[in-house]
Amino acid sequence: MAAEVKIEASASDETLETCAREIIVNYFHEMMSYKDGAKDGRDIEFVHDMRVTSRRLRAAMDNFADCFPKKLFRKHYKKVKAITRTMGAVRDLDVLINRFQKTLKTLSEAEQAGIKELIEHLHREREEARKPMLTLFRQLEETGFETKFLEFFGRRT
Amino acid sequence: MAKAHKISGVKPLSSYRENARIILPQKVEEVYTWEPFIRDPARREELHNMRISIKRLRYTMELFRVVYEFPKEYSKEGGTADDKRFAEFLAVIVDLQEILGDIHDCDVVLQVLTDYTHQSASSATRKDGIDRLIDQTRETRKADYEKFLEKWEHLSTIDFKRKLLSFLVTVPI
Repeated sequence: MAAEVKIEASASDETLETCAREIIVNYFHEMMSYKDGAKDGRDIEFVHDMRVTSRRLRAAMDNFADCFPKKLFRKHYKKVKAITRTMGAVRDLDVLINRFQKTLKTLSEAEQAGIKELIEHLHREREEARKPMLTLFRQLEETGFETKFLEFFGRRT
Repeated sequence: MAKAHKISGVKPLSSYRENARIILPQKVEEVYTWEPFIRDPARREELHNMRISIKRLRYTMELFRVVYEFPKEYSKEGGTADDKRFAEFLAVIVDLQEILGDIHDCDVVLQVLTDYTHQSASSATRKDGIDRLIDQTRETRKADYEKFLEKWEHLSTIDFKRKLLSFLVTVPI
């Protein structure tokens, strides 16, 4: 399950820049640790965890933006934002499918038929929504995003 | 979804602790920019934006938790008064985020069901299930919204915003 990154008590007295680098790098590692599971697609929790961690990462980046050179920061920020967005489309459908499946047992057989059709429709939409996510992952891999991100945020000035 | 407000006055070379006092109050203010709209249950977009701002505040509070919570190994009682206050404030924020999340989920479900009804070629019998779900979801949304508003009004009554802000800025540098 996606969890918040632990920050040592001694960090309170470090400079913001030092902490910001550590936090952003840690969240980035955690986010990317869910990527293979998200690509596989069979367990919906990987998409959920990667999305939640990308949001936590963005929250940290929003707060600590002034610690970094603007131009490259924005470039990396946009990529993380794209990760959140493409995963969001898949996650929203997972949540809907799950919700409708749970409601099935509260309905009569006749009523269930319409919901079952809807669930099938949402499964097809989910397959479509996974395509931009997989394309983005491929682009990130081809452009060495992970290495560049870690070089930028891991480097101390 | 509204963008996060730009944080100003951050001091990269000052301590993490000092910057908590600069950043956190701005995240609180971002949440309250949506307050004028939330007494209208039809303002779905603004309710959603408030949820996102609350989530940003929650994540930022968690980032700075270390500044407000004394580590347990240094405390015989396993916690200080500030520990408890921080945890209490954070619990309120998480609670608000969750109830606004429930409202948003209902809004999304209603949108999907309505769109599907309009575009689907299902027979009238098959639409019965969809109509039933629409009714159920409307009722749940109404109940969730009332619960949220009641919580919000209670927080206003007890001056929650002022208390939270004053707690966040009094951390010793």
